[in-house]
Amino acid sequence: MIARPSAVLRLAVIADLNARPLWHALEGQPDVVLRKRKPASAAGLLEAEVVDLALVPVALAAERGWSRLAGLGIAARGRVGSVLVVGDRPIEEARVIYADDASRTSQLLLRVLLAEKGRDVKVVSLPEAEARARARSEEGAAALLIGDHALRARDAFLHRLDLAEEWHRHTGLPFVFGVWASLGAVTQSAAARLVEAVRAPYEPKDSPLSPEETRTYLSLLHHELDEQDERGLARFLELARSHGLLPRDASLPAAPIRRTGRGRRRDPDSILERASAGVRIDFEDAIALHEKAPLADLCTAAHARRLELNPGNQVTYIVDRNVNYTNVCVTRCDFCAFYRLPGHPEGYVLELEQLAKKVEETRALGGRQILIQGGVNPELKIDWFERMLRFLKERFPDVNVHGFSPEEITFLARISNLTVDETLDRLVAAGLGSLPGGGAEVLVDEVRDRIAPLKVTTDGWLSVMEKAQRRGLTTTATMMFGTGEKVEERIEHLLRVRALQDETRGFTSFIPWTFQAKNTSLTPHDSSPWAYLRLVALSRLVLDNVQHLQASWVTQGPGVAQAALHAGCDDMGSVMIEENVVSAAGADFRMTASELERQVRAAGFEPVRRDVHYRIVAPRRCARDVVA
Amino acid sequence: MSTLLSEKRTARERAYDRAGIGDIAARVRAGERLTREEGERLYATPDLFAVGALADEVRARRHGPVAYYNRNAHLNPTNVCVERCLFCGFARRSDDEPGAFTLTPEQVEERVAKFPHVSEVHVVGGLHPTKPLDYYLDVVRAVKRAKPGVIVKAYTAEEIDWFVRISGLSLDDVLRAMKDAGVTALPGGGAEIFAPHVRKKVCPDKISAERWFEIHAAAHALGLPSNVTMLFGHIESHADRVDHVIRVREAQDRSHGFQCFIPLPFNARETRLKKLTHGPTGADVLRTLAVSRLLLDNVDHLKAYWVMCGVSVAQVALGFGVDDLDGTLQEERIVHMAGASTPIGLTEDTLVQIIREAGREPVERDSFYRRVKP
Repeated sequence: MIARPSAVLRLAVIADLNARPLWHALEGQPDVVLRKRKPASAAGLLEAEVVDLALVPVALAAERGWSRLAGLGIAARGRVGSVLVVGDRPIEEARVIYADDASRTSQLLLRVLLAEKGRDVKVVSLPEAEARARARSEEGAAALLIGDHALRARDAFLHRLDLAEEWHRHTGLPFVFGVWASLGAVTQSAAARLVEAVRAPYEPKDSPLSPEETRTYLSLLHHELDEQDERGLARFLELARSHGLLPRDASLPAAPIRRTGRGRRRDPDSILERASAGVRIDFEDAIALHEKAPLADLCTAAHARRLELNPGNQVTYIVDRNVNYTNVCVTRCDFCAFYRLPGHPEGYVLELEQLAKKVEETRALGGRQILIQGGVNPELKIDWFERMLRFLKERFPDVNVHGFSPEEITFLARISNLTVDETLDRLVAAGLGSLPGGGAEVLVDEVRDRIAPLKVTTDGWLSVMEKAQRRGLTTTATMMFGTGEKVEERIEHLLRVRALQDETRGFTSFIPWTFQAKNTSLTPHDSSPWAYLRLVALSRLVLDNVQHLQASWVTQGPGVAQAALHAGCDDMGSVMIEENVVSAAGADFRMTASELERQVRAAGFEPVRRDVHYRIVAPRRCARDVVA
Repeated sequence: MSTLLSEKRTARERAYDRAGIGDIAARVRAGERLTREEGERLYATPDLFAVGALADEVRARRHGPVAYYNRNAHLNPTNVCVERCLFCGFARRSDDEPGAFTLTPEQVEERVAKFPHVSEVHVVGGLHPTKPLDYYLDVVRAVKRAKPGVIVKAYTAEEIDWFVRISGLSLDDVLRAMKDAGVTALPGGGAEIFAPHVRKKVCPDKISAERWFEIHAAAHALGLPSNVTMLFGHIESHADRVDHVIRVREAQDRSHGFQCFIPLPFNARETRLKKLTHGPTGADVLRTLAVSRLLLDNVDHLKAYWVMCGVSVAQVALGFGVDDLDGTLQEERIVHMAGASTPIGLTEDTLVQIIREAGREPVERDSFYRRVKP
């Protein structure tokens, strides 16, 4: 019997000690990919189907309506030691409990127990350090701590209450904290692998406790669930539902086990056939295409999809200008040659009149938008941005301000002491029209840690975009590839964008482009024109819910951009009247509007000018051509 | 069961069908020769990658996973020229004109001796008003003295016709004299575009298509293989390009000596044609390469000359029927004096990387497409 190679098992896991027995044996296995994440982050990976299973708290899984792999989890039959309410006064006297905001299930358990006992105690969710600090300093306050933090803080307070023990006392049942969540069925081989993993003897490393304490702690937990555990979990969910703490249909059912994989054929031809029929491409499909599909097949299939999504012969483009209001930046991405640190003689912040002049020039050349982005400058707080936006809208009411990446917005919120929501509201009120998709780079934290460790995380970027989209702001998404990221990481980026788009439909277009290496400290990898076209085509096939795909003439030059118009792209981007950031790193192609139109026509399409919403605009007559 | 499987259309076949070239694809796969009309249809087919894919199939059948490059150098003996081709930014009227140069054989020897290790020296230049045939032969001898093992690929049909006229020798005798001096292959230049109504507008001084082919046929008969080019994207039409390739095909059927077809995208900037045309765009270059590969079923190799296509488009061209990226070049002048903005040479490492990143196996070749041993 010929053994069929099994697909890679992709898992998101919590790194906490109590979870490790479930996955430690899988680390370093060639056919297993482990992503260590905090629970909310792991949830994002499962939602986007970047992973097959995620080890997450039961509350989170139940809220999302997920299934779980029966028989495995993180459970305790009584005292556990890592879910503690701590305080310097007896816990029964507490009037408010500050709960570690990473502790969904434990919070829920606390609320359920309080409700069961009819206790009227406020529960407030806070970051762990703050929760602990308030329990220490405030009268009548206690803190709910979990995991390794609970273990460490155990002896730091006079009183403590073990919630698992409390639960056991109340119900006589074990408590299940975490499970392997899945979106649907789980393959038999995956299930068997995970069971095998938990049975491998576990030698703990890097524990926050001493070796003996570690062994004691772990002995309180078990990871193979029996009937009692299942009953305990069911009871917990039932009580939570009955107290209105979980939705009525949150039941965390056992996932069906299926014998084999989906039965999908994974050869490129079959995948392309599925894609042509409108069947969504999954992670493994995308990898197979990336690695094996010939360029011509990818591009012709992508072009067919383009025609389905954007029928006809038109290629759109916009006339705008990239204005960088400051080059002073503290994020210091390794791939960037544009930034200057605070205090650098070449650092600048544009004066309002300088800004106005640029916008005036743009208008005179027929443009009705500026793309405004800059470095992350600690001197510029929310009031500076509001003043700038109001100034622009008053002077130039018909010019859309397409501005600020999630990185800028996150930083701005932090230094202005606002939430992201508040920041967005204020920017919009002052005149912000739409959000460009920059700063995405590759939406995988492992890549970001390597090339831009100070930048907003994957979840941070997606979160800002989601908030913007829910406010009705038009947004785009980009990808800058070629700094050495893996194929899987490129695919993951696409899947994350796709998953958010499923929720909000807020991205108008996707713009992949290649890393430019000049004046940076990084080396380019797999970013030739050939690689670019393959990725463009793959993006068109994977992002089945994003309507437009932009070709990047800035990084590729006009010839390859034309080819991209046949490989899934329906838009030529912007005739950038000014571009500083990418050109600092070496890309020095320039384009006028008439040259762009010539290139589009020579590629066999009709060039059409649009606005940020992809509405057609009539070209305005101008005294001279738009010169980049 | 097997009938069902064989009826299932592959992704590639579906693409051909969608593009409207399913019938052409079937004929190409059956090894049948395409007609002029089919060539023109391929130029008019909107789906660029479908046309490219078919050309890529032909390339793969002929050459497998290999892509060729060579280490070569260009040597222009003189840029003083009696002709006035509109597309040329290289020529000067006399040695007195600024930018004019004429190398002595000694200077040639000195220059070539300084070249790094190359397998080929490509010699082409202007038709000097006063230099005799011996000058041009001495240039070849000088190259051979400087690098005895190197292959000299020298003089286009245009220059050879000039040699005949200035020396009074027969065509065969001129070719034999060239061979004696050390020439073993001819480059493909001077072809420009064969269609007479275009030829007489852009290069009225040049020899006719018939004469060009006559010279190459004579060379082939004497054991000198050659290349053939096509300068496109000026004022000619797609039909003219098809016509050009079909003429080459017919000539090859007769004389069997053409090794490589090299479409050259015209770059206008420093020439007198710049008001008339911008030159072809990348998409046009890719299409022209692909259609040429499909029509020209009897010439082994197709080259994307990166100097004129640009390095990026040349890499993409590897998927459009191209199996040869030409070479490291070392100081290309002719095209750069017409305004090309590409580098004047590429390192071997760069060429190898470009080829590998396109999924091909890079093979260093000599002028006869033999693999060069490292």
